[in-house]
Amino acid sequence: MKPGVMGTALLAATCTVLTGCVTATVDEMVFNEPTEGIGDSTVVILGRRHASDYETEPDFIQCVGKRIASRDRSIEVIGELEFINALYPWFEPRTAPLRPQDIDRLLLHRPVAEKMAALRTEYMIWIDGNTVRTDSAGSMTCGIGPGGAGCFGFGTWNNDANYEATIWDFTDRAEVGRINTSASGQSYMPAVVVPIPIIAPVQGTACDSIGDQLLEFLSSEF
Amino acid sequence: MTSAPDARRWRLPAAILLLTVLTGCGPSTVVVQGSFPPPLLDPLPLRMGVWYDEAFAGHEFFDEAKSRRESDWLVKTGEAQVQMWNTLLGGMFRELVQMKGRPGPNQMNQLVDAVLVPHVDELQYAIPTHTNVKVYEIWMRYRFELLTTSGDPIADWTMTAYGKTPTAFLQSDEAAVNLAAVVALRDAGANFATHFTRVPEVREWLESRATTRGEAEP
Repeated sequence: MKPGVMGTALLAATCTVLTGCVTATVDEMVFNEPTEGIGDSTVVILGRRHASDYETEPDFIQCVGKRIASRDRSIEVIGELEFINALYPWFEPRTAPLRPQDIDRLLLHRPVAEKMAALRTEYMIWIDGNTVRTDSAGSMTCGIGPGGAGCFGFGTWNNDANYEATIWDFTDRAEVGRINTSASGQSYMPAVVVPIPIIAPVQGTACDSIGDQLLEFLSSEF
Repeated sequence: MTSAPDARRWRLPAAILLLTVLTGCGPSTVVVQGSFPPPLLDPLPLRMGVWYDEAFAGHEFFDEAKSRRESDWLVKTGEAQVQMWNTLLGGMFRELVQMKGRPGPNQMNQLVDAVLVPHVDELQYAIPTHTNVKVYEIWMRYRFELLTTSGDPIADWTMTAYGKTPTAFLQSDEAAVNLAAVVALRDAGANFATHFTRVPEVREWLESRATTRGEAEP
């Protein structure tokens, strides 16, 4: 094995070992699954941003979209920003439809109806939730001197992720499913000269869980 | 002992060091920058003029630090305001005309159906050090005047806009405040676009125009 390849493998192995543990739970309730997949239609995944004290992270929405598109390449997922820009101002936090029935109100506007037809959107998936740091403990001291710099100490923290995806069937103006995922994990950061972060991929696990469940609904291959 | 030429040699590095130290004491400055999409609307059949006064086109907000832990903030929104309103109004009306001056009895201006004059009455911001909530927020109150070309008022109303963004890893306070301001501007556009025809005086004016045009047609 070449030294470069060995180094990469060693780094990957170290990163795998230095990952904190995450516990994830998924609840699902879906109706009217498209048995043959969604065909030529498209899916859009949007974040809910109505709450005053938190916001569904745009990078989480992007992560779920990528997860679905990478595991079933036949599914076309429209990017969140591309969609809300194309339909501005109808999907801003102030104006976004809150119930599937509100779609009818939107389609009364001729340009909106034309744009939606051009985008071929069959399913609109709303994701609401966020990832928060719930608890932290420990302390770390870092110093710098003529001989060098270094840190000493230990820190630990918990992250909790809770997301709910609501699936709207755009053609039938109906809610056809809800998927809830929660994940939690503890991260550590021991430091003896160099801090070594052992991060629990809480948000990433929640993204994979919700993405896989959505794939089971949308894809004919899963 | 240092001779005069030696002292001169140290002046430039000393000045740079001093400037660097003083820069750290300056306000956190945000020149709001973003891109704003055109609205997806059927344009209203109006030739609308718009006039941005100096206070609006160069709008900035300065907030002095309340304690030694905080820093002063300077948020410049003027350029982004003009960019957003030009894009929005350009898509909302059949034609948008940039006026050469504020409409008035002695003001020579282009011929338009009405002139919109926007003002930012108030801007407030909040960052996590103020609220202990991990969200950056911008809130704005606008006042709009809709005038005839001779400066007579048609309508005068206020409207609020709000934008927030969560804290993000490796995102500076300035970048987060910029993003919150862009969200607030988009919200202002959405609020204006969906409520313009519902402002009572505007609705009356539009109805009277429709009636007058209906009577004029054979």
